[in-house]
Amino acid sequence: MAERDKDEVPGVAPGAPAPQLAAEARRDFLKTVGVGGLGLGLGGVVAAPALAYVAYPLTHATVSGGDGFLQIGKSADFDESKPLKVDVFADRRDAWNRVVQVKIGSAWVIRNGDKLTAYSTVCPHLGCAIDYEAHRFMCPCHKSAFGADGKVTSGPAPRAMDELEVQEKDGRVAVRYQRYRQGIPEKEVI
Amino acid sequence: MKALVDWLDERAGVRALWANIANEEVPGGARPRYVFGSVLVFLFMQQVVLGILLASYYSPSATDAWASTAYLNDQVTAGWFLRGLHHHGSSVMVVVTVLHFLQTVIAGAYRRPRELNWVSGLGMGGLVLAFALTGYLLPWDQKGYWATQVATGIMGSVPGGEPLRLLVQGGTEYGNLTLTRFYTLHVFVLPLGLAGLLAVHLSLFRKHGVTPPELPPVELEKRMQRFFPSQLLWDVAAMAATAAVLVVLTLKTHGAELYAPAQPASNFVARPEWYFLFLFQLLKYFEGPLQIIATVILPGAVATFLVLLPWLDRAASRKAGERLPIIAAVGLLMSGVATLTALALIEDGKNEKYQKGLVAAHQEAERSRELAKVGVLPAGGDAVFLNDPQVQARMLFKEHCSSCHTLDGVGGSEAPSLTRYKNREWLTSLVRDPRDVRFFGGTKTHKDMEAYPPSELPDDKLRAVVEYLTSLIGEEGTAVDAALAAQGKQLGEGGDLNCSDCHEVKPGESGDGPNLAGHGSRAWVQRVIRDSSAPDLFGKSASMPKFGKKLSDPEIQQLADLIAAQRHRKGDG
Repeated sequence: MAERDKDEVPGVAPGAPAPQLAAEARRDFLKTVGVGGLGLGLGGVVAAPALAYVAYPLTHATVSGGDGFLQIGKSADFDESKPLKVDVFADRRDAWNRVVQVKIGSAWVIRNGDKLTAYSTVCPHLGCAIDYEAHRFMCPCHKSAFGADGKVTSGPAPRAMDELEVQEKDGRVAVRYQRYRQGIPEKEVI
Repeated sequence: MKALVDWLDERAGVRALWANIANEEVPGGARPRYVFGSVLVFLFMQQVVLGILLASYYSPSATDAWASTAYLNDQVTAGWFLRGLHHHGSSVMVVVTVLHFLQTVIAGAYRRPRELNWVSGLGMGGLVLAFALTGYLLPWDQKGYWATQVATGIMGSVPGGEPLRLLVQGGTEYGNLTLTRFYTLHVFVLPLGLAGLLAVHLSLFRKHGVTPPELPPVELEKRMQRFFPSQLLWDVAAMAATAAVLVVLTLKTHGAELYAPAQPASNFVARPEWYFLFLFQLLKYFEGPLQIIATVILPGAVATFLVLLPWLDRAASRKAGERLPIIAAVGLLMSGVATLTALALIEDGKNEKYQKGLVAAHQEAERSRELAKVGVLPAGGDAVFLNDPQVQARMLFKEHCSSCHTLDGVGGSEAPSLTRYKNREWLTSLVRDPRDVRFFGGTKTHKDMEAYPPSELPDDKLRAVVEYLTSLIGEEGTAVDAALAAQGKQLGEGGDLNCSDCHEVKPGESGDGPNLAGHGSRAWVQRVIRDSSAPDLFGKSASMPKFGKKLSDPEIQQLADLIAAQRHRKGDG
């Protein structure tokens, strides 16, 4: 440090020549700029990557799996006498975990000649699990009833049971399991 | 802007607050050697921010810790960088703590009336080491797990230390509670402790000010500068230099190392972090009942000496020349630490077993982290190895194949052993005695092939035949002696061996025995697994179940890879 490099409050030092005070003030200003600039840089080193890090889930699927067709059984399992309830299993990813064959939902599957139809067991009204009794589908919560074709026959359900895509190949049956928004007349994938 | 400050000032008195900080007097002027404390405050705050960021992805349980660390390090954007800063930040903090300590000793700043600054500073230094020790375990990787085992082992070995060890690790063995406890210490207890001591240390510092150079009071007054901006510029510049070192270190090492998940049954050669190496080295010199000298007596004596330093120093002034015994003692201490550290590094450098273990550990780390990218099963930790196709294939083998086939000594004998399947030794033994139980002896239907004893087929000719059979596999990656194979071909197709009476070698053609073209290759093994009764495979004598419908295509591929790779295995059978 130079001996003249004082850091006095301007105007306090009696008799100090004016040019020196101005130089002092300029030096202090530059020091302040230096402190501010370096300080911002220090914060930025962590803040910039931290933003990308915290926002990672906005641009990456952190929970995934269960898309596409999932095996639910053999063709022979399903006959025309009555619908069969099947559980749908899939492998899931949850951030760092991989979970093998967890139940992700259920479906009612009914055969009509060559055609297999699958309905989600989730009631389109408020999401209770739909039962099958006395030749019709019944929701136990609010008494919505559906025909064998899935259409509403009575009760508050705003739309027919949600049909799921079915695939039958080489004697094996698979469905594409999806969930739909409840309580609205349109069938809208969540 | 001014209006906002006015508003705030009226309510919170921010101007007076700022003036209190900014106008702090630095007698004798701002100096670079006052920066260390500020740099430590900066590093601590940065560690807190980084720690909070890490905690937002980390899960402190024995099943999740490693997998979540691997996830945040290898998948989350910039995760490796932030974790690297946090990891190396602790090293840098230790270095700056030592510098701060040395500066204080050299300047005599521990002397009256600053004894409490000194003691609170030593306490914080201890906490910095405790942070490092507890943080080391949290990734639950091999290195952290085994190095911390040593630390808690030492704790248990000192008189009365066993209950403390059980308390710290939450039971007799490492497990979930060890992690939750270390996590609680690292994330809540130690930061609160450090923040508390820091508050004490800073307020004492503000009370006494810096320890100025030895100058007459008039001179100190004349050269006086304010904390802001003169000293702060030095401080911030030092912080920037420290941060630059930290960033370069992090970029160069691509962040902190993450070893394979902790495997309690393995024998990982553990080393503590470099700043604990001197203690590790010290332990080597005190065996058995003397161990307590290295674990308690020497460290305890040093700690006592340091705490009592302000009262041991009887010199008349702060001048370094008058305090030579003290400075020499501390210098001796530091050179002792440095020597022990260097010895530890040199010994490990020469230790071939350790170096080999290190290479293997790095390979295993890389492998496990690659496998973790598809997710770790909820069993966690080393369940990551179940993602290994080899391991999966072995599980499939155990489930579907091992009731008839043996692999590595485990399995049935109703079908040929597949250990080192179709390597030269396997082929040689097969031709010598196909009805041995190792080959077709246990099968019901494959008994047609005759044995070829040395009287019919001398060893050198058999070698040629085996070379020819190896060449017929026709897969890349197998070095074949072409001349020898050609000799074998002649023996097999002409000669008295009559191989070609039963075995075709033109792809697709069928004879009484299996066609030998491509026999043993990946594609061939896949075909056999699907349906071994094709005419060019085992035809009518096939008795192996058809797995084409039982197993998925990827499963069949995995199994075929496992079997076809057998002949490339090294070592004896």
